[in-house]
Amino acid sequence: MTDLRADVVVVGSGAGGAVTAATLAEGGRDVCVVEEGPWIAPDELEPFSFEEMRARYRHRGLTAALGRPGIAYAEGRCVGGSTEINSGLYRRLPEELAARWQERGRILEFTPDILDHYASTIEEEIEISTVPGAPPLSSALIERGATKLGWRSTEFARLFSYSPDGRGTKQTMARTFVPRAVAAGARIVPDTEAVRVLVDGGRATGVACRRRRPDGAWERFEVRAPQVFVCGGAIQSPALLQRSGIRGLVGSGLEFHPTIKVAARFPHPIDHDDVPMHRVTEFPSNLTIGGSASTRGHVALAIADAAPGDDEALDAWESTAVYYTAIKSEGHGRVWTLPGLHAPVVAYSLTEADLSLLARGLVHLGELLFAAGATALYPSIAGGPVLRRRGDLVSWWDAVDRNRVNLMTVHLASTIRMGEDQALAAADSFGRIRGVANLWVNDASLLPTAPGVNPQAAIMAIARRNADHFLANT
Amino acid sequence: MTDPSPGAAGGPAIVTGAAGWLGQNLVRELGPRRDRVRCLVRDEGERPLVEVIAPSVEVVVGDVRDPAALDRLFDGAASATVFHALGVVHAAGRTREFFDTNVGGTDLVLDRARRTRARRVVHVSSNSPFGANPSRDHRFTEDSPYNPYLAYGESKRQAEELVLRAAEHGDVEAVVLRAPWFYGPNQPPRQSRFFSAIRRGRFPIVGDGTQRRSMVYTGHLVQGMLLAEGVPEAAGRAYWIADAEPYELRDVIATVRAALEAEGLEVSPRRPRRLPLPAAVLAARADAFLQARGRYLQAVHVLGELKDTIACDVSRAREELGFDPSTSLLDGMRASIRSCLDRGEQL
Repeated sequence: MTDLRADVVVVGSGAGGAVTAATLAEGGRDVCVVEEGPWIAPDELEPFSFEEMRARYRHRGLTAALGRPGIAYAEGRCVGGSTEINSGLYRRLPEELAARWQERGRILEFTPDILDHYASTIEEEIEISTVPGAPPLSSALIERGATKLGWRSTEFARLFSYSPDGRGTKQTMARTFVPRAVAAGARIVPDTEAVRVLVDGGRATGVACRRRRPDGAWERFEVRAPQVFVCGGAIQSPALLQRSGIRGLVGSGLEFHPTIKVAARFPHPIDHDDVPMHRVTEFPSNLTIGGSASTRGHVALAIADAAPGDDEALDAWESTAVYYTAIKSEGHGRVWTLPGLHAPVVAYSLTEADLSLLARGLVHLGELLFAAGATALYPSIAGGPVLRRRGDLVSWWDAVDRNRVNLMTVHLASTIRMGEDQALAAADSFGRIRGVANLWVNDASLLPTAPGVNPQAAIMAIARRNADHFLANT
Repeated sequence: MTDPSPGAAGGPAIVTGAAGWLGQNLVRELGPRRDRVRCLVRDEGERPLVEVIAPSVEVVVGDVRDPAALDRLFDGAASATVFHALGVVHAAGRTREFFDTNVGGTDLVLDRARRTRARRVVHVSSNSPFGANPSRDHRFTEDSPYNPYLAYGESKRQAEELVLRAAEHGDVEAVVLRAPWFYGPNQPPRQSRFFSAIRRGRFPIVGDGTQRRSMVYTGHLVQGMLLAEGVPEAAGRAYWIADAEPYELRDVIATVRAALEAEGLEVSPRRPRRLPLPAAVLAARADAFLQARGRYLQAVHVLGELKDTIACDVSRAREELGFDPSTSLLDGMRASIRSCLDRGEQL
């Protein structure tokens, strides 16, 4: 492949990259998007299937942050990024959190009015809805348990559109902002890794890329552009900058929402096609309870931790669904790249308070599921214990132990951070990287902390804001 | 003591941590005056400590982290006042216990209080969410900002926030009482070691001993809890509850010596050891280092804190609750020493 030229090269096509590309292309710029993963037609794969994990997840979904315990994390690696694999939940950035971010990092033009404006803009451009009619049983059970316990619960809106016959379609980037970018003239280059940002005399001038040829050899080429946007997410964006010699704060301060799961068996069959849209909102923002994808594979994985080899439990998978509790952790982690290694190393350390909060969330989750009628609970803890009665929930406090607990996370954030406080933020208030001209980051790495809610709404609104600022100023 | 609140007199009470230092003092006050005092104790061994107090006392044995134990504690006790006196002050080795019990336990207690429509929750907090005073003459007020001191302080801060949030959301009426270092009858063995070290002239004075400490006689704290239960306007508020004025640490030690002598115990003529300030600073650093790794050593923690002034102002409790801390340090310490001697302890 020969070298390409554009006004702007965007690395990545997820919630940050796709919104950036569409906004800039519609603003009249010649945009080229480099995406590491494949471009798969949105309806080609069954959602949450293993085929999908192979195709759309980084390392087939087998990525982990080092630490005690290690924490598995999932990232989309395809056109559309993680919006192709997430549950589509849409939650505006909480106002009080935005105010804290603004104050702590001294972020300019980050007032409630401005954020409202951009959230509304996104919401006008992409369909957000609640389920028409009754929610699926897996979701209704959350509401049922919460009602019994007197806890608050809510159905979250999702990036979904519904046809008149009630069929829902997730509004992923590959269905929305990517086609818009293409319609406005942007080129999408899939299956292509960004190796390094080209920097010449202190200015970014493009991106060095490589792609596999059918014979297995690497083909290398460059995308030359006077403006570079890095939107690879909170792991890949800092890794790319570090490989390009840009370090300092880049890669520090990784945050996410450590999550522990429970497979819950009920005395009746449960739906497995969708992800529950109800959330328990009873607890402070550092503790969330909700439902996960529950295909046969997910159920099998969840049971394997607590009761390996329990065939009877596996046979009951049609009556079993997976739920989770996630926390806003006070620990933090870091992303760094090692010479000669393309994949970054990710490490994260949980505090004792984090583990306690996870245990508390798990006990609450157990209460909820028993109240909803569950007859057996399989926590993602090596060796369980599997619980069949509420009276044994107390045993989960001590079972949540560094050496036994099996944690995962999505919602990785805050490895670069935006703001005027140079001791905290590697990017300015609009995502421009300090120290290198013409280089921007515009994705979850900019969030000053993990947000405690599903982050895609915040990522899209902030990406839109920063892209508008770019158009107005360059 | 007369019940300060006719409205609450005789109402059912739930006491967590009932066999603890504060819990026992509270149950002794409540037991004879209430029809029902539901008490949570940790194990069967603690049951007799509260069961003997009055026929109104009903004991529930269980872990505050156990939803099923809390169901038993709250069962049939609708519209009770919940005195949440339970807390881990010194963990056995790991800081995790502070969070599990102090934060997790409070979360579960609040949830049950809300579900059973408890009349009010009186939550016992601490000075530790506020750290040390910036100068010797400074006093914490209810408007002082959080500045939690290490894991215990952080756990008590989080617990306070849960209580105040529940009150704000209208889940339950609640009052937060911030109590510093206790003294008084029914003290745990660690406090007997304090008397015994002073008696032998082995308790160290860090620096010149003029750092100030607010302390609270358990009788004063019980008085504060009953007032917090009864005063309607206290709902959703926090109060410092301590003796009238803070003491200089050297005066505390001199008073304990006098109290020991007044109770007929011979006190070593040796003057207290003086420990240079840097030793306590070093201990505080070691404590922070260990706690960052989840480890807790009580002796190191206590030594590290001895250098600080931790003093509060009880004006708001006086004005709004009618709080009147009238027992002197000497009398309170004497009551405390007598309680040790009555149990047959050697000081």
